[in-house]
Amino acid sequence: MREIVVPGEAVADRPVRMHNTCICNDKTYATIVGLFDKEHNEIIPLEGGWLPHIEDVVVGIVKSSRNSVYEVDLSYFKRSILIASKFERHPLKVGDIIEASIKDIEDRKTIILYRERALHGGTMIEVKASKVPRIIGKNSTMVNQISELTGASITVGRNGIIWMRGGDVGLATEAILKIEDEAHVAGLTERIRVMLKNRTKNGE
Amino acid sequence: MASLANKPDLIVNGKRVDGRDFDELRPIKIEAGVLKNADGSAYLEWGNNKILAGVYGPKEVFPRHMADPSKAIIKCRYTMAPFSSLADHGRTGPNRRSIEISKVTKEVFENVVILSEFPNSEIDIFIEVLQGDGGTRAAGITAASVALANAGIYMKDLVYAVSAGRIEDKIVLDFNMIEDNYSEADMPIAVAPRNNDILLLQMDGGLSKEQLKEAVGMVLEAGKKISVLQKAALNDNYKKATEQYGQKQ
Amino acid sequence: MESIDIIKSNYIRELLMDGVREDSRGLNDFRSIKVAPGVIEHAEGSAQVDLGSTRVLAGVKLIMGEPMSDTPDQGTMSMAAELLPLASADYETGPPSPDSIELARVVDRGIRAGNCIDLADLLVAEGKAWSVYADLYILNYDGNLFDAGELAVMSALMNTKVPKYEDDKVIREERIKDIKLNNIVTSATFAKIGDKILLDMNRNEGNAADARLTVATDGSVVRAMQKGLNGGITVKEIDDMVDTAMAKHVELKSIMEKATKRSL
Repeated sequence: MREIVVPGEAVADRPVRMHNTCICNDKTYATIVGLFDKEHNEIIPLEGGWLPHIEDVVVGIVKSSRNSVYEVDLSYFKRSILIASKFERHPLKVGDIIEASIKDIEDRKTIILYRERALHGGTMIEVKASKVPRIIGKNSTMVNQISELTGASITVGRNGIIWMRGGDVGLATEAILKIEDEAHVAGLTERIRVMLKNRTKNGE
Repeated sequence: MASLANKPDLIVNGKRVDGRDFDELRPIKIEAGVLKNADGSAYLEWGNNKILAGVYGPKEVFPRHMADPSKAIIKCRYTMAPFSSLADHGRTGPNRRSIEISKVTKEVFENVVILSEFPNSEIDIFIEVLQGDGGTRAAGITAASVALANAGIYMKDLVYAVSAGRIEDKIVLDFNMIEDNYSEADMPIAVAPRNNDILLLQMDGGLSKEQLKEAVGMVLEAGKKISVLQKAALNDNYKKATEQYGQKQ
Repeated sequence: MESIDIIKSNYIRELLMDGVREDSRGLNDFRSIKVAPGVIEHAEGSAQVDLGSTRVLAGVKLIMGEPMSDTPDQGTMSMAAELLPLASADYETGPPSPDSIELARVVDRGIRAGNCIDLADLLVAEGKAWSVYADLYILNYDGNLFDAGELAVMSALMNTKVPKYEDDKVIREERIKDIKLNNIVTSATFAKIGDKILLDMNRNEGNAADARLTVATDGSVVRAMQKGLNGGITVKEIDDMVDTAMAKHVELKSIMEKATKRSL
């Protein structure tokens, strides 16, 4: 059973090391609004921005370029740097959308990217970064089914930026925003599948 | 302040002007996540007070040289709408009173927000009093707490605030505007409920040591009720969807 | 504009080539409109308006004052708008921005030019008249503040009651009558993007817009207009927009009348 906890709520009457908690007077307290899973001693955040980690896949926009070093905008707050490889064949332009992974974070401030891939055309939406795991789903089941049923190619960045192109982007957007709203509810993958099936059937 | 010449009777037959007992809160209603653009928000009705709190962040620090590589900085703005008061038409934007309230409110949240989680960033707290009827700073802090939690900002605790004071020789909780204007002492207090740390304390008027103790005790007792409402507001934000879909699979 | 806004703008333009909008609305459709009058009891009149995700709140206060020297036989009205920093990450604290001043002046112009408030009726005695203060608070920004603002201020006026005035004293607790109104004005704001014209732009459409036109009308005549942004519009386009604004007036007026339970 998972229950919703809020900051300051005790989750254990002894010190337990887990994410999204603090230990005070030998007790463990939640520091964020989240779902507390007693069995696994884990708090899954329901709200919140993105704290970058190494190997996170992100989507961003090239903001400036100089000598194959690019500054990439990952949202209105986080900026990052991409150092292109020597063998780069197609240099990026300012305004290009890219998908990339985080290689390193220097001084808790500068995010270094690698394994970049340019994404052409399409559009982007922003969602709460805390909902991204639900949008991707276990083993990418959620995002794969949205892509399959709407025909849109979708790339989800951990930073909360989602890029989409082709197919029914409007319907895909609707499905993603629905997941963002209901991320804490069980059985979401199935419900989204039913919704998309119904909608695509009606459209025909 | 109001002149003492036309001071109304604030206590009649052991009850207050609005019929409350001395230690009785006004009705409080809190709703979380009411604004779409803000990262976190809350709407609070506390008696006739109507307050909207919005939080943006963590975001880039502006101006940039104020950024702290070890922690986040907090900015806070408390203002009253020009139409918020029953009497006159107020002036738009901050004045000396609201600048002071903004400052002490900021200091409250610097205590509970885990600033080290968000280096080089800024968290903005906006408190808009849409309708005011006494105790707006306490109500604003209570609302902002919920808005911060709703934004997913790491916090050690969920702060509440409420005022207590003295009317004649009685210690009284949660003044409305009339009581605020004519009371003998007023003392807004903000508390981190987990260990009852006092994070904001302002007072004017006169209180004896015993009266002070009684007032603080009253605040801590009332705080338990406010905390329950704050948690419920955050929970309700998700409950709707859970009820709608949670059981069927 | 942030780079993500530019990508969204390009997408809006692409879609519009096929006549499609981001939220699949028709080109001349308003988003859903909700009017909640009387939400601020302390104000003599108030209304909160939701236009899609745009949310604005108007409050009206009546203050006893003096008529202006050039119009000694009537009361006054003034308007201000505040783009609250909690309404959008783009808004900042500080003195009124040019955007907020333009917004207040455009909304004011429609209502003033339409003689909506009977200013002569605000005179209570020689040298004594009510001053009407309408304040527009932007709570959440998703484009088209002009129409949301006009709806909110108009609805707040339709909700406004005049306090009792007796022996040189205003008795706020007693409100004796509805404020006298002569007319109801609504506005319709259009964005021109490429060669397409669309009504009621959301934030992304506003960012993509080349030109903007607000048409305020009482249904029989145009009461005020304001063009914005640097793109051009043709005479034919203005003609079409005025037609649409007039047609939409009926719909908007009826929404306000139903919500405020007051009609003219």
